[in-house]
Amino acid sequence: MTTLSHAPVSTRPIPNPKRSLITRLNMGTGIIVGAIFCWGTYYAMRAGRDMTDSHNVNKVLLASMLMWSFGFLVGIGALIGPFRWLIGKDLTAEEQLYLAGDGQGVKRYFKYCTDHKVVGIQYLVGVMTMLGVGGTMAMMIRTNLATPGSHLVTPNVYNSLVGLHGITMIIAMIIVATGPFGNYIMPIMIGARDMAFPRLNALSWWVLFTAIPVLCSAWFLGGIPTGWTAYAPLSDQAGPGMNAFLATIIIFAVSTAVAGMNITTTVIAMRAKGMKWNRVPIFVVGATISVALAIPAFPTFMLAMIQTGMDRTIATGFYDANVGGSGWLYANLFWIMGHPEVYVILIPGVAALMEIAPVFVRKPLFSYNAAIAGFAGIAGLSVLVWAHHMYMSGWMPSLNGPFMITTEFISVPTGLLFLVLVGTLWRGRPWMKLPMLSVYAFLWNFLIGGITGVYLSDVPADNYLHGSMFVTAHFHYTLMGAAFTGAMAGLVYWFPKMTGRMLNERAGYIAFWLIQIGFNVLFLGMFMAGAEGQPRRVADYAFVYEHSNMISTAGAYSVGIGMITLLWAVVHSWRNGKIAPMNPWGAKTLEWTVPYPVPLENFDVEPIITSDPYGYGKAAN
Amino acid sequence: MSTDTEFHIHHDSAEKVGRRERLGVRLLIVADGSFVFGMIFSWFYLRNLNENNAWLPKGVHTFTTASGYTAAIGLIIAALAHRAGEMNHGLRRVSSIVVFLALLIGAVYQWHQMAHMPFIAHDDNGRPFYNGAYASNWVLVAGANMFHYLLGAFVALGLVIRGYRTKLDPVLEEWRQRTAGSWFTWIAISGILCAIAASFK
Repeated sequence: MTTLSHAPVSTRPIPNPKRSLITRLNMGTGIIVGAIFCWGTYYAMRAGRDMTDSHNVNKVLLASMLMWSFGFLVGIGALIGPFRWLIGKDLTAEEQLYLAGDGQGVKRYFKYCTDHKVVGIQYLVGVMTMLGVGGTMAMMIRTNLATPGSHLVTPNVYNSLVGLHGITMIIAMIIVATGPFGNYIMPIMIGARDMAFPRLNALSWWVLFTAIPVLCSAWFLGGIPTGWTAYAPLSDQAGPGMNAFLATIIIFAVSTAVAGMNITTTVIAMRAKGMKWNRVPIFVVGATISVALAIPAFPTFMLAMIQTGMDRTIATGFYDANVGGSGWLYANLFWIMGHPEVYVILIPGVAALMEIAPVFVRKPLFSYNAAIAGFAGIAGLSVLVWAHHMYMSGWMPSLNGPFMITTEFISVPTGLLFLVLVGTLWRGRPWMKLPMLSVYAFLWNFLIGGITGVYLSDVPADNYLHGSMFVTAHFHYTLMGAAFTGAMAGLVYWFPKMTGRMLNERAGYIAFWLIQIGFNVLFLGMFMAGAEGQPRRVADYAFVYEHSNMISTAGAYSVGIGMITLLWAVVHSWRNGKIAPMNPWGAKTLEWTVPYPVPLENFDVEPIITSDPYGYGKAAN
Repeated sequence: MSTDTEFHIHHDSAEKVGRRERLGVRLLIVADGSFVFGMIFSWFYLRNLNENNAWLPKGVHTFTTASGYTAAIGLIIAALAHRAGEMNHGLRRVSSIVVFLALLIGAVYQWHQMAHMPFIAHDDNGRPFYNGAYASNWVLVAGANMFHYLLGAFVALGLVIRGYRTKLDPVLEEWRQRTAGSWFTWIAISGILCAIAASFK
């Protein structure tokens, strides 16, 4: 795909970092300053306030949580750059190099490091942690549902489990591909030396990091009773734990906007010479469309959270019908974000599989343009379908028909994605390595997820299925069965580049089959229960649903064991795995032209792109 | 040209860095625009729904139609002053100071307006609340204006200080002026849009 020019990228000698404030700040100082800001705000605001008034409690808690986040950023040094800009003394060369983590070893992972590869690894570890926490909650939910009348957890705890599992997994899935691979791999794939805004790149990660303890604090504040959708007015009336949810989403929306802007700018403005738009690797296109979609989508979610927060703290009435508010306003704002968000999750996973398929069948990607049209069509239509989540809410019944049509129409660009993958596999001789298995798993899972989605987009069918386990099974098939499968394939595929080692293949295969078989058992069982009428988000159920729930729980345990196996494979291989060659898969994209460890500026010489990235089987390549 | 305090470890030209920063800010404006769109949607949605006739309950005082525009005046002056500085380099230092002062004074005025909202009522226990959806939306719009004022003032203060420093890359500084101009223009537009919405009682 590439030729390399021989113009040196850097001739400037790397100076030694000065001992300045920047060198003394790290995650530890961030936590200390964050804790001081948090507790300081808490005690300062408590003083003289009537803490029996729920508005005051919410005010104090929400402010403390947001100040924790701000304090952490102060403590880790995130605001040094803006402050230095303000006073006209920009960071020196030494300081910029120090921030890039040059020569700091493992310590840089605990600092405000601007190197995109460090940020990618931070995201990877963060995502795995979130998946672990969210997965543990899922296991508790399934264990509770294994038999009717189970009292493993109380109904209130069950509600919180469902809500916190939901939001933890949604956040994890939003960043599961664009976080680790969008940061580590994508800049190298386009021949860039870093992200467009390295300091903002670090900011997006550390802002997100501050949301994790905030969300966890919900448990200690009574949990959340609302599910991950946090529908108003229930969220207006919920206990103190709800503040943690609101603060998490507000913080997360900031992180997403910054990350989305950074990735989009990087791809538009920093591609290597010769990398025209039709030569951009498909994963890069998918990740960019996904984050570009997130840029306008998430602020409306943030707005809904701010309005809820205002209702809870200063007694406004956005969602209180007594003073002119409406729960439908929340539902609209939430789903205007909520449905595009599904595609923000899905597209990078599918794009990763499209990146992988040509490599393992040694054929060009079938119809690159159709893939772009598919992604663009999905992104465009995704903002016109939100009210299909509200068919049964009573909001504007006259609009059900139009929204049904736009929703069903979205299966056209989605079908293009299928065609591209099937066309790529067609008459190929696949090299059946672990990443390739995920392509087949995706096709199976997403077929089921997609077809059941057509049922749910249909108003009469939704009338029966709405609010049932059928819906839960459907969105797990799309988010976990499709998007997570794509991300898992990406992890195995890019693991050698990110860690310098090959993933343990045997453990990887065991994990793959346990997860995929368990997943299908779990959610096919759930389709059964849903079709029979079992409602979702309910801690107990009638005996008639016993068998399908038992099947689902058995599948869940298989997924759980598979996830633990995958985690073991990742950790073990990272430490002791076989040393990976520079290009173990024989792929043609740029990331495989750089050694491990990848140099600070990625390329010793500037790459110049002379052909498309999928020229497999062509004589010229 | 001295570039003692301006250095890019990735060695891109100031021109490239400047263009990139402008694109980044414009993307952030898209995000902020989505938020403002959401606020305006909330305003008209709740106004037209008029749930329980409580958009504007009887006896609740309102701001005048001009109040939204007066709250946005600082944003508008800042955008115009910055534009004047961009068109005439001789005015740049003065215009930067005008921009900063306009935003600072605008923020103080916005704070004053928020502290003296006429529609705050009290419940039976004497606790204050915003009576009616109109009141709720007003306080949100005012808060968004306040956010724009403060962020704009931060940027403007940076431009004032940097205008007096000589050891900065003039090409990059020129781009940063343009980039800041995009932001100032947007927050002025946002202020006007919110003012138009707020004029529908």
